[in-house]
Amino acid sequence: MIVSKKALSRRAILRGTGAAIALPTLDAMLPALSAAPAQPVRLAFVYHPVGMILDRWTPKEKGANFAITPSMKALEPFRESMTVLTGLAQVQGRALGDGPGDHAREGATWLTGVHPRRSETNVGCGISADQVAAAELGKHTQLSSLELSLEAPGLAGACDQNYSCAYTNTVSWKTPSVALPMESDPRIVFERIFGEGGVDPAARRARLSQQRSILDYVAGSIDRLQTELGSRDRNKLSEYLDAIRDLERRIQKAEQQNASMKLPSDLKRPDGTPETFEEHAKLMIDLQVLAFQTDMTRVVTFMLGRAGSNRPYRSIGISDGHHSLTHHMNDPEKIEKVAKIDEHLVKIFAGYVAKMLATPDGAGGNLLDHLAICYGSSLGDANIHTHHDLPIALVAGQRLFKGNRHLVYQSETPLNNLFLNMFDAAGVPCKGFGDSTGRLAHV
Amino acid sequence: MLTGLDPAKAGDDAPVWERVLRAVKTGQMPPPGMPRPNAAAIDTFTKNLAATLDRAALAKPNPGAPMPHRLNRAEYSNAIRDLLALDTQPGLQLPVDESGFGFDNMADLLSMSPSLLERYLSVARTVTRQAIGDMSMLSEVATYGSTVRSQRKAPSTEEVPVGAANGMAFQHYFPLDAEYEIRVDLAGSTGEGAPPTPFRLKLPVKAGLHHIAVTFLRESPKPEVSLRTFGRTFGAPPGMPAEKPGEMDLRIDGASVKRWHAPQRGVAPDVALAKIEGPFNATGPGSTPSRARIFTCKSQDDACATTIVTNLARRAFRRPVMANDIRPLFNFYKAATNFEAGIANALQALLVSPDFLFRIERDPKGVAPSTNYKLNDYELASRLSFFIWSSIPDDELLALAAQGKLRDSAVLKAQLRRMIDDPRSDALIQNFGGQWLFLRTLANTKPDSDIFATFDENLRAGFQKETELFLANIFRNQRSVRELLDASYTYLNQQLAEHYGVRGVYGPHFRRVELPDRNRGGLLGQGSILTVTSYPNRTSVVQRGKWILENLLGTPPPPPPADVPELQAKNKEGRKLSLREAMELHRTNAVCASCHGRMDPIGFALENFDGVGAWRAEDSGVAVDAKGKLPNGAAFDGPSGLKSLLLEKHRDEFIHTVVEKLMTYALGRGLEARDKPTVRMIARKAAAEDYRMSAFLDAIVESPQFQMRRSSGK
Repeated sequence: MIVSKKALSRRAILRGTGAAIALPTLDAMLPALSAAPAQPVRLAFVYHPVGMILDRWTPKEKGANFAITPSMKALEPFRESMTVLTGLAQVQGRALGDGPGDHAREGATWLTGVHPRRSETNVGCGISADQVAAAELGKHTQLSSLELSLEAPGLAGACDQNYSCAYTNTVSWKTPSVALPMESDPRIVFERIFGEGGVDPAARRARLSQQRSILDYVAGSIDRLQTELGSRDRNKLSEYLDAIRDLERRIQKAEQQNASMKLPSDLKRPDGTPETFEEHAKLMIDLQVLAFQTDMTRVVTFMLGRAGSNRPYRSIGISDGHHSLTHHMNDPEKIEKVAKIDEHLVKIFAGYVAKMLATPDGAGGNLLDHLAICYGSSLGDANIHTHHDLPIALVAGQRLFKGNRHLVYQSETPLNNLFLNMFDAAGVPCKGFGDSTGRLAHV
Repeated sequence: MLTGLDPAKAGDDAPVWERVLRAVKTGQMPPPGMPRPNAAAIDTFTKNLAATLDRAALAKPNPGAPMPHRLNRAEYSNAIRDLLALDTQPGLQLPVDESGFGFDNMADLLSMSPSLLERYLSVARTVTRQAIGDMSMLSEVATYGSTVRSQRKAPSTEEVPVGAANGMAFQHYFPLDAEYEIRVDLAGSTGEGAPPTPFRLKLPVKAGLHHIAVTFLRESPKPEVSLRTFGRTFGAPPGMPAEKPGEMDLRIDGASVKRWHAPQRGVAPDVALAKIEGPFNATGPGSTPSRARIFTCKSQDDACATTIVTNLARRAFRRPVMANDIRPLFNFYKAATNFEAGIANALQALLVSPDFLFRIERDPKGVAPSTNYKLNDYELASRLSFFIWSSIPDDELLALAAQGKLRDSAVLKAQLRRMIDDPRSDALIQNFGGQWLFLRTLANTKPDSDIFATFDENLRAGFQKETELFLANIFRNQRSVRELLDASYTYLNQQLAEHYGVRGVYGPHFRRVELPDRNRGGLLGQGSILTVTSYPNRTSVVQRGKWILENLLGTPPPPPPADVPELQAKNKEGRKLSLREAMELHRTNAVCASCHGRMDPIGFALENFDGVGAWRAEDSGVAVDAKGKLPNGAAFDGPSGLKSLLLEKHRDEFIHTVVEKLMTYALGRGLEARDKPTVRMIARKAAAEDYRMSAFLDAIVESPQFQMRRSSGK
């Protein structure tokens, strides 16, 4: 996708170069921005699975002008927007008496800082940072958040023993018991953002009003059922009512915004999931750019792989599974391969940053100006499953966070503390959540 | 842990004592090296303990109470197929369901979230428009196939005409009587900057599901021989007329509609992608099975609408419908401007109703809190149909429920047999078998083509088919589940037979083959299982051992601790160690030995099968050593020896595991200690019938866990 600036700075033309998606003129899709006095700040959480080879990632020098390390090479062009943070941890991912299952806990704790309940079906964790943010920032947008992954969930038997697959498939928790599914199919992501089928405003309006009446009917049916059920079953169905309220809010928002918003008639949705990891990543990144640019959402969670991912990376010559390799037992050959995967995933992320930087947003600015991204992993040394010294980078607009620094914190400082700093930047009120102990200093 | 507990009152602490029972029975307790009572004493102890636990459970039965259970993806697809005669697998458009205990039909995990509800709304709309034939539908492009050669699969013989070579076949749902454009991209002609394909045809197609095949015709008639070209096996019966080389043949439902001459570029041409765009210039909704199913009356008035909505709701809700079920749906009908749009409105709403999307069992009025009661007949019909078909009950089940006959043991047995014989029970093989045995992950495995040169998409599909046919035989033909471990037969086509080194199997169709070598028979000799338990580039004795312990013996080893000591590449004297030697050294560490002592020997017994299940006598030039010895001293050699060991010394564990897996799946919940007496009861019933699969299924649906429920505590 190529983005070029036109005479009017806010206007952008996006053109798909890939075969899968063709992006039309977008200016008409922007909601009435003139009504919004300031550019909204957006948050993204990009997950790098199964830790990193730390001595290839962690810079030697503290503070500004640290030397770029081999694993973060691809991020060098953005160093002025990047803060590398060392010493952060998600210690609730440790066993704490629950025995093995570090990969389930890797995924479960990344954005929550809450020790997950060890169970195959009775899942329990904590609300995740993206959902704390979505509860506030989502008030202004049609979608409160988007949850995306480059790896479809495991289909059988592949999850961590004694833990539900929910813990490895997703890092997003709307409530302590509702894990949000990650979507990996670009076509479905597109439909989530723009609705399926027609782009004609009248048709969209009719569609929304039809959805509203269906939701009324469903809510009525649930009310009736609730009177016939015991308390435990009632609770389960109340999740359904919560989902309905959320959608009703979305419809209301859409009806308000549709008055000032016109989707171009040549907006085409992707056909499906591209065949290579890299094309898949590119398309999913394009969709996130679109979602931010049209202000459909201000919060995105993006998993480059599942927790404990065992994907081979053939395109860079690695046919062993990622997770298997991370248990390298100090075999230099395996360490080399994991480092290669790390570099590759960071490169994918650098593409993400580059796209944000290249996409105009606001007067003379770009999407990165008003965006704060937390990138990193929920394991430190995956070989021995450490949940501290996590490799983390904050990439953000320079007016939000001063970049070009390597900050080193006391070991086991909660990662959740960083999320509080991000909330502050985005105007999300939050005193604390999970195991947070306060804002990080110096960020 | 056992201090203060009295085995004579084991029922009071059933969860603890069930664990004791299992540990002692499987020989994990007492631990190796500790004094061990003699076999007779152990036998007496375990028998008495089991009997005490069984008596206690009988005195205080508790069938459990599954939560409301959202339809999962497979159930949604099948329910739509059976409700609307629409077989388009719409469930694939829903997010993947979370799973627990190895299955994705666990009630506790099937919850609702905003994004999921959004998908249900969206899919309901698509399904409705397809089923009714919405004339206002916009045209869309559907793409089939792959531009990556290794990801393409040659069509199976059921899919294409005899004599077809390269190409592809698929099913596509054409929503209206209209024109559609079919475009074919040849391999090597796609990608950026490629000119639009010249192979395009716009033609009128009747609404409905149609079978599309695009194939290259064979160059010349050939006798039935194996011809390996690009990793594919071809074979044609003798006497086929010669066709022009390079002719590409497009067929719809078997009838040729177009032939193109495709350029020869030195390699055999192949189809990369087929795209179908439409509908254009629609002439009508057509006469589809879906419309026939929905529009059961012709008068297009309110009475007819009521009939239609009532019929749909009764099937969708799996119970008799009341006026207050119909009223809101009828209002949707009334709100539309014409009859069909009204029915579409009502249908779309019905498909997101909690009565459709959730399986809900209601405590009967007036039942006391926390008491056991029998499910009503409709709820029983649903439990049966979701167990065997992963779908809604059919008219016959609902009629028997209405007559109150379903609980009759003979009727129930006959229905179960009918359901298993019905093709809809493929769902049991795909969903239960697919998840229990990890078959579903076969599609995602990525064997390294540099190492396993014979592996291709056809072989992968063949692995899947072999195991599915094998399981179908055991489920449908009342075979003993012992055959899962040790069978004298399997199902092969030529490619698979050559892969296994079995002679005398010609042609691409699958057929039952008697196996001369006992090593190959049973699941442990099937490429599907052997591949999903391997790494992309080599076998894994640990994964294979773990798979057997977990899925066949029900004693999964815990995941490894994080701080595992590394495998030593060399011994103390500096000699390089083989993998086996290195792992043996690893096991001298007591922590590692506690699990690897059981896993590794079992895995090593299968080392004669390589990472994609081909037989090998050597690995990297070294003769395979497939001998193993368990911590309890039992020794065995190779797959055949392992099978004897499992069947003779571990039969009870295997049988109990089969029961537990089936019950977990049938009930949609994890089993608890209080369910174990029922597991033993079912195992005893099955033993009395030579472990025939039908005996397991009969006993499960007769069990209190399946037929009863405990009322809510209030």
